[in-house]
Amino acid sequence: MTVKLTERMQAWIETMGCHLCVATPQGVPYVTLGRFASVTADDEVAFALAQDEYGIISTALKTNPWVALGVSKQGGIRASFQFKGIGRVVTQGPLFTGIAAEAKEAQGIDTYAVIYVKVSEIYCTKPGAEAGQRLDMMTPDEVCEWEKKRWQDIPRKNTK
Amino acid sequence: MVTFTKEMKEGLRVPGKGGSLVYLCTSSLDGKPNIAAMRFVATHMDDKILIADMFLLKTKMNIKENPEVAVAICHPLEEGRWWVFRGKAVDIEYGFPRDFDWYGANATDILNEWGNWNKSEPPDEVPPDIVFPKAAQRGVVVIHVEEAYSIEPGHAGEKIL
Repeated sequence: MTVKLTERMQAWIETMGCHLCVATPQGVPYVTLGRFASVTADDEVAFALAQDEYGIISTALKTNPWVALGVSKQGGIRASFQFKGIGRVVTQGPLFTGIAAEAKEAQGIDTYAVIYVKVSEIYCTKPGAEAGQRLDMMTPDEVCEWEKKRWQDIPRKNTK
Repeated sequence: MVTFTKEMKEGLRVPGKGGSLVYLCTSSLDGKPNIAAMRFVATHMDDKILIADMFLLKTKMNIKENPEVAVAICHPLEEGRWWVFRGKAVDIEYGFPRDFDWYGANATDILNEWGNWNKSEPPDEVPPDIVFPKAAQRGVVVIHVEEAYSIEPGHAGEKIL
């Protein structure tokens, strides 16, 4: 299926950043913060990580590319989604410098690594009957309509 | 063996009582991670985090095959709660032997105190477009914390417990 993050999903991700969860191939999970997030394609998000933030997940990510994302801060309750996909680490070249420059300007982050996550699975995490429902099985238009019937709040960029 | 600080015990409570929304991070045995926000959270003894088994799906499946979990504060982070706790979890469901023990935590004690969590600490602070229409608690996830690290910018990865 085609995965397309809705406008509202994109706004919550970019405004709040995400908690990034990875795991070793043996199933030991690690979490770090992706404070700066930029949606780079309909189904892709880039995170700028400082060296210490990347250090938490680097070992696991080198051997297992799966990344699960939950929106940080108020997004943990307002953006009731979990995103999963394959992560790719970029530490040099134009794909690095562009995101790193944006992260420096926006949040003063000294980026060590940019993690591009190609989202292939979207789950509803609203508690109740729809918890765990896979949204990426719908068409992008259906996902938009599904979401608009439930929530329409879009956070402002300067919200902390 | 770890011991929670006073601040951690205050932060690991339901948001309506000054606590935090947390992310419970699990993984399948073959390494597919999962992250889900949890509102019903508490501490027990000095090294256990409790989370209600309410609407758990993948999280429950993962814990049943792989006890390794991480709990991170989702909100509010800026109050100094830059914590990630790592340890081993079990989902003590109704039907477990009442004398079941998880690193010193007793199933009867846990279910007696937190087995009807929605009644004792109702989610009054949760927005109406998010809150569930009817609680359905199956048990309590008990996490025996073995270590904790910081995710504070500039100190990420530093061991705090």
